[in-house]
Amino acid sequence: MTILNSLIAVFGTLILAFLVSIWLPGIERKFIHARIQQRVGPPISSLGIMAPIKFFFKKTIIPNSPMPNLYNVLPVISLLSCVFIFLFIMPQMYYLGALASIIAIVGLLKIEEVIYMFMGSLSKSILSVNMPFPDLAKGGKHRKATRSFLEELSSLRAFRLIAFGSFPIYIAFFVPVAIAKSIYIGDIVLYQQINGPILFTVAGAIGALVYFIGYMILLNEYPFVILKTKADVIEGPLLEYAAKYRAYVYLTRGFLMFVLASLFATLFLGIPPNIFDWKVLINIGVAILFPIAMALLSAFSPIFTFRQFYPVVAGVSILGILAIIAAFI
Amino acid sequence: MSLKSYSRARAVHVMLVYTGGCNGCDIEIVNCIFSPRYDAEQYKVFLTWNPREADVLVVTGPVTKHTEKPLKEIYNSIPEPKAVVAAGACALMGGVYKNIHGDIPSEEIAGPVDEVIPVDAKVPGCAVRPEDILSGLVATLPKLLEAK
Amino acid sequence: MSDNNNKKIIETEVPMGMVHSAAIEPYRVRLFVEDEIVRDAEITVGINHRGIERIMEGLPVEKANSLTEKICGICSNSHIWNSVLVAEKALGIEIPERASYIRIVVEELERLHSHLLYLAHGSEVLGHETFAMRLFYIRETVMELLGMIGGNRVQYGAPIIGGIRPRCDLNEMRIKKIKEGMDFLEEKVAAFADRFTSDPMIMARITGVAVLSKKDAIRLATSGPTLRATGVDIDLRRDMESYDPFEFDIITQKDGDVKSNLLVRVFEIFESIKIIRQAIGNLPPGKITNRSWGMQDTPIVKSYIEVPRGKLYHSYKLEEGRTRNVIVRTPSITNIGAMEHACIGAHITDAQLAIVQCDPCFTCTDRAIKIIRL
Repeated sequence: MTILNSLIAVFGTLILAFLVSIWLPGIERKFIHARIQQRVGPPISSLGIMAPIKFFFKKTIIPNSPMPNLYNVLPVISLLSCVFIFLFIMPQMYYLGALASIIAIVGLLKIEEVIYMFMGSLSKSILSVNMPFPDLAKGGKHRKATRSFLEELSSLRAFRLIAFGSFPIYIAFFVPVAIAKSIYIGDIVLYQQINGPILFTVAGAIGALVYFIGYMILLNEYPFVILKTKADVIEGPLLEYAAKYRAYVYLTRGFLMFVLASLFATLFLGIPPNIFDWKVLINIGVAILFPIAMALLSAFSPIFTFRQFYPVVAGVSILGILAIIAAFI
Repeated sequence: MSLKSYSRARAVHVMLVYTGGCNGCDIEIVNCIFSPRYDAEQYKVFLTWNPREADVLVVTGPVTKHTEKPLKEIYNSIPEPKAVVAAGACALMGGVYKNIHGDIPSEEIAGPVDEVIPVDAKVPGCAVRPEDILSGLVATLPKLLEAK
Repeated sequence: MSDNNNKKIIETEVPMGMVHSAAIEPYRVRLFVEDEIVRDAEITVGINHRGIERIMEGLPVEKANSLTEKICGICSNSHIWNSVLVAEKALGIEIPERASYIRIVVEELERLHSHLLYLAHGSEVLGHETFAMRLFYIRETVMELLGMIGGNRVQYGAPIIGGIRPRCDLNEMRIKKIKEGMDFLEEKVAAFADRFTSDPMIMARITGVAVLSKKDAIRLATSGPTLRATGVDIDLRRDMESYDPFEFDIITQKDGDVKSNLLVRVFEIFESIKIIRQAIGNLPPGKITNRSWGMQDTPIVKSYIEVPRGKLYHSYKLEEGRTRNVIVRTPSITNIGAMEHACIGAHITDAQLAIVQCDPCFTCTDRAIKIIRL
């Protein structure tokens, strides 16, 4: 009976999360960006729900890639890693031990990031080198240079982001760990049920800020959009996805928005997503609040190049380390 | 209306390709998407620069020799179902650049858009007005919705 | 082989275009990068080549004039105005004062919409969609005024030989509307400029990026606002007869980076508003066209005017009322060197910004360039 109950809870929560997450891109675009830009904006169902459905019904093509099948599978892996993160923060999964810990979540998020690198090196879009254009004409400059695709550039950037860009969010993960003195999510939630949410301590508040910046970097939202900026790499690693694989890309983005916000509610408020508890409403509330705050910031910011990116990440990381030190004191 | 047609009507991704017009149409089209006064997004039309994401290709200009091949390649890389809107006098019949030579064929122009790729909707005007662009996009919708 | 301007051999090339999200016009740019820093750049134009000068060869001069308008959709009035000026200079036609004033109004309105478009495109390349949209909203006022005067939003064809087209005369109602439009613009652009220059994120992005020094700008024969942004005080409007009755300042900035370029355009918007107010305030009464002129054969006549992007040159000779040996030189062709130079040393995300800061208009440029066949 308990197993059945748990199963219902897990799948119920997953479906609920999915149903909420598909509205998030639309809310971001309609209620925040369009309102700030003083226009009507698209209907909220368009971007998150209707666009993926539309892409599912398009004809599948073979992408320009050395390994088309691997390239097409990557967004599915990305979506699955999101789903696993979400599974591991549910209270029914805490008996899994090491899997329901911060370390497992960090690992799964790393997969999410590394996939961008693979995508970048596998995509060979028409928009740069493959464009039929007489480039290497007589009198052209540097005719012996290696010709690189736009996506290779983004692959390089993804590599840099793995190296330093995701620091803030990982540091922010360890603020609750330092306070609760355990890497297990079950213990962190239990600690907060006894001592009140971590968010309302000094360390927790700083950690939340660091978490928010890390959230934006991980989601590649303006101003941290350098991986797929329109000013040079257009869409970067995602350029060649078409039809249903693009639908997965769309869904993954909405779901990752939800999962990371839900993770925040678990780690900093002590409210894991569970459909049988009325507190799941707070969890969903946080998940809607995070994209709104992100959209507010992104509507007013330009793209950061690495010249601005490094100092921001370094500053935020130092803030995060201070928060961890504060947690120990 | 089936879910397929409904979803296609609720999210239309548009890609623009400029093939050597005078910039007049190009800026009016960007204007129609970017300016809050016209705001194409309220009609579920989204601007994209990636052929793999696009449903509708908007072409302006008379298609010069240099842009003929890239235009074909971009058209081929859009997944089905797709539609093409030719916008502006040049895209429809070559404009002043093709026709003023009289009987002498123009050396620079590869012909109006429908000689290079199949065209589904034609929007006249020199330069096209933003309202006309939106109605041209709407004119391609039946083709998109009824496609398998 | 061709590494003469750089001693090191550059290994990676990133080609962009001719369809690209940042470059709205079709052109190809090859960026040679080392660790995401641009070391060299090559801009290829000629994609838009339509051979308009060949089409103009042997056309009746009135037809040829209205054809020059199709060279460019942004500065269409500048082309037709300069082409008409060539004919007027050649045939010695005096134009009524009222026509001259109205030509100035149309030209300055065009400068307004061109500069607002420049700022909007710049914001878009910076990644700031909100500013781009607000600027397009402001620009819509100018487009409506131009539509009201000429009857078309983009190519209005105001000047004809001897004056202006009767459709473009300004009556009381139109003057009132232009006045209201100018008030709106001044308020909105001032608010925008305040907001823009006080935004720390944007200022961090554009200050000291893609610098073009004064020396380089002169060496590369840059013209127009791009040159003025490096501190050179040159504006042909000062020497043009048509601008004699008006008071205005010539804007210069010192640094030559993206910030100076943007600021030059912002301040020029206010100067244009000033000129338009003066022109519609003291609009002289009288005729708008001088019809008493005869056609004759003339040698090649040249004319230079200052247009939104810099210096525009038209020349042709007249034979039996037909144009011969047409030459058009637009400002963007001289600015290409500056664009390539400004890219060097910038991060690759700033490379398109460095090109956009010189206000490229490659559709203007691609007329007289010979296609190199491979």
